[in-house]
Amino acid sequence: MRGAAKGGRRARSSEPAPARAEAHYGPRGRFRTRLVMLGMAALFACVAAQLARLAGSGGFEMVAAITEPMARSYARPDILDRGGRLLATDIEMPSLFADPSLVQGLDDVTERLGTVLPDMDQGELRRQLSDRNRRFIWLRRGIAPKLAQQIHDLGLPGLEFRDELRRAYPLERLAGHVLGSVNIDNRGASGIERTIDETVGVEPTHGAPSNVGLPVRLSLDLGVQHAIEDELKAAMVRYESKGAAGLVMDVRTGEMLASASLPGLDPSQPSEVLDPARIDKIQGGTYELGSIFKILTVAMALDSGKAKLDTVLDVTKPLTAGRFTIKDLHASGRPLTVSEVFLHSSNVGSGMLALAEGPERQKAFLEKLGLMAPMRTEAGPVAAPQLPPQFGRAEQITVAYGHGMAVAPIQFAAATAAIINGGTRVTPTYFRGRSDAPASTRVVSAETSNSLRGLLRRNVSEPIGTGRRADVPGYRVGGKTGTAEMPGRGGYMEKAVVASFLAAFPMDDPKYLVLVLLFEPKGTSESAGEVLAGRNAAPTAGRVIARIAPLLGVKPAADVAQLPN
Amino acid sequence: MHPLTVSAAFLAISSAFLLYGLSYDTRQLEARVSAQERLADKARADIAVLKAERAHLGRPSRIEPLARAQGLEPLTDKQMTDRVPDGGLSTGAIAR
Repeated sequence: MRGAAKGGRRARSSEPAPARAEAHYGPRGRFRTRLVMLGMAALFACVAAQLARLAGSGGFEMVAAITEPMARSYARPDILDRGGRLLATDIEMPSLFADPSLVQGLDDVTERLGTVLPDMDQGELRRQLSDRNRRFIWLRRGIAPKLAQQIHDLGLPGLEFRDELRRAYPLERLAGHVLGSVNIDNRGASGIERTIDETVGVEPTHGAPSNVGLPVRLSLDLGVQHAIEDELKAAMVRYESKGAAGLVMDVRTGEMLASASLPGLDPSQPSEVLDPARIDKIQGGTYELGSIFKILTVAMALDSGKAKLDTVLDVTKPLTAGRFTIKDLHASGRPLTVSEVFLHSSNVGSGMLALAEGPERQKAFLEKLGLMAPMRTEAGPVAAPQLPPQFGRAEQITVAYGHGMAVAPIQFAAATAAIINGGTRVTPTYFRGRSDAPASTRVVSAETSNSLRGLLRRNVSEPIGTGRRADVPGYRVGGKTGTAEMPGRGGYMEKAVVASFLAAFPMDDPKYLVLVLLFEPKGTSESAGEVLAGRNAAPTAGRVIARIAPLLGVKPAADVAQLPN
Repeated sequence: MHPLTVSAAFLAISSAFLLYGLSYDTRQLEARVSAQERLADKARADIAVLKAERAHLGRPSRIEPLARAQGLEPLTDKQMTDRVPDGGLSTGAIAR
């Protein structure tokens, strides 16, 4: 049995394989074998094709398992001044991050990193890096390329760089208050930057600067802005004042050519942006502006027809309102005409003009000029005006000479621009050629405007005028001084004043308004020991105009004497 | 084998090669495009830095002292005239 079986197997193995298969399975078996072989070949071909495809496709999408949200930065449009000069732009800067799970030698890393970044909190750094569950931690964002290279050269594992967009302000502090600032993700936080987010829009991005639409063109003029900042800085030293502010406005369009507030701020320094001592005095604070308010009082009286320039007022006796007595600083001892009330800056005269008008009309006039309602510009909301609770006799008189009512300088400048430009209201704007400005509304008649132009010019050109130190030969400057005592504990402080000067030029056809404010100037040898605006703010405004008038293309001319009296 | 089967097989294989070739070319082109894009991004980033640097170097607080050192001053009314005098402008009159 066994031998037969062996013999049979040997006999079968000596036959050729197909014949054996055929012998064993028949023709159908052969076909099935081929089918299986073909199937296998197809399968291998599929595997080979897939391998080839994977090998060829190259770049795999690496999926990083990061649980923490990766910060995105935003691409922002450039900001240019009215002449197309760059004020703010985006640049790529390396940001340092760490993957704590890859960091080796915690002490070594913190110590060596501390040598390059000495201002980094070592304890905090240690605490962050010791949390091995985290895979991504920002250590420092927006590092100067040179510093980044130094950190790179330390060769610390687990520390990496990522390029991010950061906002750069190449002009440092120039117009810092207006431009505002951005947050760590390059989103607008204040000023024009915030307005850009809200109106023009920004684009999220992961690095390279992209073309985010057209640059934003402001109405500011770099040259004018620098001139006013430079002169205010010099004035702060000259008169030992604690702060200064100034603006230049186009009286017809309300376009702001410059807006400066000192001490200034660098938008790229967050500590400066948040410093309360550096608030924007032009639109972030309200002040009792003093006698420059008399421009409005006289305009009101002339416009209502209750008084003319030659109407005589008896200003010899002080005005009383309840327990207050209002006197003139330099009493003339004789009745004065309305023109003289303006030129002598008589508080009593202004009070009388306001009383003659009545509280309702006085309020209505201030409302018409936009001084009673909150205002907004592209640089943010303007500090709301602080108004007296009611317009009684005392309030009427004090508001007439600029006390008891505090407004932001930009709001006051806009109101005065309306009186100077021929009588139409303007809205201050920082954008060039803004078309959505409301249609001009008339606030005072052209005659009133003309009379005020004459008075302002006389206040500078005549020897009795308080603003004579603001005169600049050839540029027909007009203006009004204001020295307002600052409110302190238990009343007004006599020695702490806000000295202001509101000027416009050229007065025969005013184009530009200049407002200069000096906060708490001291009586120095330069101001003959006085703190009056005629001694400090007026000459400062004169210096500003002498510098900016040629920049603004105002043609100097011999003085025009035929202005109305 | 049937000639139709052979030609179909040939067609299938050749179109597979063709498709492979096309997709290979496309990948090459895509790689080139992304390389160009990276280059453009880099150039844009460089331009942004250069623009910022130019603005920083041209900032008025730097230019002004340089201009003053050259003896330049703001224009005054004395430097302006309405009419050219009869004799015309004499050249070199502006020299200090």
